Amino acid sequence: MLDSFEILSTSGVVLWSKTYVPVGANIVNSLIRDVFIEERTKPAADDGAGSKPMYKKEGYTLKWTTAKDLGLIFVAVYQSLVHLTWIDKLLDNVRALFTELYKDQLRQPYTSAVDCPFDDYFDRQVQELEKTADRTATRPFEPTPTVEFTPPSSSGTDNGPDAPPPMPGLRKAPQKSVYSDTTSTDATPVPTPETSRPASPAVSHLLTAKGGPPRASRRAKKKASATSAPQSSGDESPAHRMRDKKAAAKKGARKWDDFGMMDEDSTDNLDYSTTDLAGSTDAPAAVEAIDSASWGKRTGKGEFVLKDLDEEMDSILANAGAKKASSEPASGIVGSSLGAVSGLFRNVVGGKTLTKEDLAKPLKEMEDHLLRKNVAREAAVRLCESVERNLIGLKTGSFTSVDQTIQTAMESALTKILTPTSSLDLLREIQAVTAPNPLNPLAAPRPYVLSIVGVNGVGKSTNLSKICYFLLQNKYRVLVAAGDTFRSGAVEQLRVHVRNLSELSAREGGSVELFERGYGKDAANIAADAVAYAAANAFDVVLIDTAGRRHNDARLMSSLEKFAKLARPDKILMVAEALVGSDSVAQAQNFNAAFGAGRRLDGFVISKCDTVGDMVGTLVSMVHATGVPVVFLGTGQHYGDLRGLNVKWATRLLMS
Amino acid sequence: MAWHDADSWLSRSFGPYLSTILLAAFVSVALPLLLHLYIYRKTAPTSLPAFLLIGPSGAGKTALLTLLERGNPSPTHTSQAPLSVEITLPSDTAAASNKYRSASDPTAQKNSRFLLIDTPGHGKLRHFASAQLVAPQNLKGIIYLVDAANLSSDSAGVSGSSSSGLTEAAEYLHDILLALQKRYTNTKTSKGPGETPVLIAANKMDLFTALPAPLVKAALEAEITRVRDTRAKGLLDSGIGMDEDGDREERDWLGDGGEGKFTFKQMEEVNVVVEVKGGNVVGGQGGEVGEWWEWISRQL
Repeated sequence: MLDSFEILSTSGVVLWSKTYVPVGANIVNSLIRDVFIEERTKPAADDGAGSKPMYKKEGYTLKWTTAKDLGLIFVAVYQSLVHLTWIDKLLDNVRALFTELYKDQLRQPYTSAVDCPFDDYFDRQVQELEKTADRTATRPFEPTPTVEFTPPSSSGTDNGPDAPPPMPGLRKAPQKSVYSDTTSTDATPVPTPETSRPASPAVSHLLTAKGGPPRASRRAKKKASATSAPQSSGDESPAHRMRDKKAAAKKGARKWDDFGMMDEDSTDNLDYSTTDLAGSTDAPAAVEAIDSASWGKRTGKGEFVLKDLDEEMDSILANAGAKKASSEPASGIVGSSLGAVSGLFRNVVGGKTLTKEDLAKPLKEMEDHLLRKNVAREAAVRLCESVERNLIGLKTGSFTSVDQTIQTAMESALTKILTPTSSLDLLREIQAVTAPNPLNPLAAPRPYVLSIVGVNGVGKSTNLSKICYFLLQNKYRVLVAAGDTFRSGAVEQLRVHVRNLSELSAREGGSVELFERGYGKDAANIAADAVAYAAANAFDVVLIDTAGRRHNDARLMSSLEKFAKLARPDKILMVAEALVGSDSVAQAQNFNAAFGAGRRLDGFVISKCDTVGDMVGTLVSMVHATGVPVVFLGTGQHYGDLRGLNVKWATRLLMS
Repeated sequence: MAWHDADSWLSRSFGPYLSTILLAAFVSVALPLLLHLYIYRKTAPTSLPAFLLIGPSGAGKTALLTLLERGNPSPTHTSQAPLSVEITLPSDTAAASNKYRSASDPTAQKNSRFLLIDTPGHGKLRHFASAQLVAPQNLKGIIYLVDAANLSSDSAGVSGSSSSGLTEAAEYLHDILLALQKRYTNTKTSKGPGETPVLIAANKMDLFTALPAPLVKAALEAEITRVRDTRAKGLLDSGIGMDEDGDREERDWLGDGGEGKFTFKQMEEVNVVVEVKGGNVVGGQGGEVGEWWEWISRQL
């Protein structure tokens, strides 16, 4: 069953929410983090036409939809065990209703608050959709008992929907028979406002109070919400509910102080006029309208009121549907040519609402541009798709063309991808591991283990010695382990590097040694031995070289899992050359998956960046395929030619 | 008709005609007025004073924003977009510029309004905040919100690779302060950018594990010292040296010389005054943000 439904803005404020079963905030947070910000998990969707994307986390399934132009996200959370077919429809309807009802408020700048008494619309929608769904299936409970049909407009039952809802599990299905019963339970928590007010004549017959004059008060309500008067802000559902609970709890203990004044926090309990105002009528004119409506007429018209709410909702939904339908076909030659002309004009002046057709051609150009920059096709397509998703339905700014809009959107998409989520300060991490920690004596200092993997010939050993040089400059004691026991000359190559480096660093204070066991041995065991040797001889860092392997050779890749298990490196870096083209995605994905469950790559070293000029698309391909950040760039032949990644620089090169 | 004829427009414009006199009078009156309008329309601050709200993700920035706006915090989730909100000071705190103003002065209300700009704190979305820092619009101050309950430094050593809350907070703060310092040192005019006060708001003081404000300050200073050290020794950016327009200096130091222990006092040299105050947005008996209100009112 539906556990929770939230409407939140992209800036993170929950505008409206309905919770049937409490769901931790981290569930929705992780949805936002993984799907919207990091785009790590591709939403598992599109099993059918028009189906909403879904995201699973800790036994919950989340479905969502967005209203881009208003910056809204609608999220429905339910248990994965339950199969709810009507969630898609509910999301669509709620989006249409909510955006239509409150779009004026949502457009207002410089405010985060939206006064939205949306409960009744939502409950009604759920009720309707459930009815249409299979009713024979045994459901644990009805989520919305009839109580909450009450229109918020009628003054007497204003507090009805906000009163603590009866436990859903306790309520049985038969609706008609329960009807009068529920209304009475509905009204009992807050009987005082009605008895105290002379205006409501028939307190005993609660149905009377229930049916308010719907039209007038609804209008008044809208007025109230439009002006967003201070009273009406109290109508916001969670706050209101809390206050009502307080009211119920505090009823007996009304306090009077020495001066015969009421205690401050109980004032709003007594001030029935304001709750009245908050709920239904804002201006005196609206009160007049209620009075003038004949009270007699309203007796037993509860059903009629419901219909009215329905009608309003249906008309909004129908409007939204019609709008969608009318926007799709271009009518006739005149219409289409007019549209074309105005589209051209809009393209120059701005203020054009972007559609899929508008974006198709410029996006294709953008894709080609990215391909020319050596971005792999998969990554380019995915980037363009994400830009398209972000832009459809948006209006271009004044005096910006579609191309410019796409350009800026792509720039920000690239920045977002390349920016690492966490810090990549290697020295800090080494410090944290090797330095004795006074606060935590259990974690004894140990050497920091860094290993390097990659395809043949991309420059693993070279980059390893560059990293080694960098560490030596920072006065660390480094052990280089020759884990390539396969290729002839690999150990000798490392020995030369170590000899050069120890000569270079002799003056600066670092020291470096080579750990080798010759050829033909198992690399994983050598690595484990090297770590043990380093721990015994007080080395700070162990750098493990590995043999190059083809990423689609399952036999060679499988030995990496054992390697990760035995050597337990703190960091596994993969070296990839900037020259590689569309193969980069497969390389990154295969290496990322090779270390078994629970271990992934920690970063990329992109070598040979000096040879490609501005075609640095490999950066994007690798990161996009795995979500693993780029840690180092190799930019030359010397030991010092190792750089960190500057995202702005890379973005500029890619967009140039 | 040549230009030297008696009837030509040039001759008439120098002759004693009524139309000429009227035109000259009009121009002489209107020109200064138009100039005034043109110049002062451009420089007059049309926007409200703004405060920037930054900090790592999960510190409670958006919650604080809603608390200041409405009086009670609304539930929030991770932000993806910045949000500006217009906020009025509560009636019991007056803006500093209103000190000598009568309470019944109708313009007093005007000075107690300001914009609060919330920025996303997620690592990938910090460019919103840095863009605001580079081109500020009437920026009166920066509120750096940290989660004081997530700053205990002992978690740093246990999990070496995952950066703890303290490290993240310190690195972000380091970057912000460095950007402010760069803004000050790179300024071309002799006046320089005005003073930028920074409030380090230690949030979540209601929690048992929260550090008190002085300890938050000490922990951040110590951690920034460490961040500065490793940054100094770290690798160069790929942008430097490969740039054509790369005439900037190789590396920037935070604080004087970039050596020794970092204290927030060093930032006063570059017109950045840092204060640390505690409070909490949510809590048993509502939020406790009086000190922060007081700080904001002092900057207005």
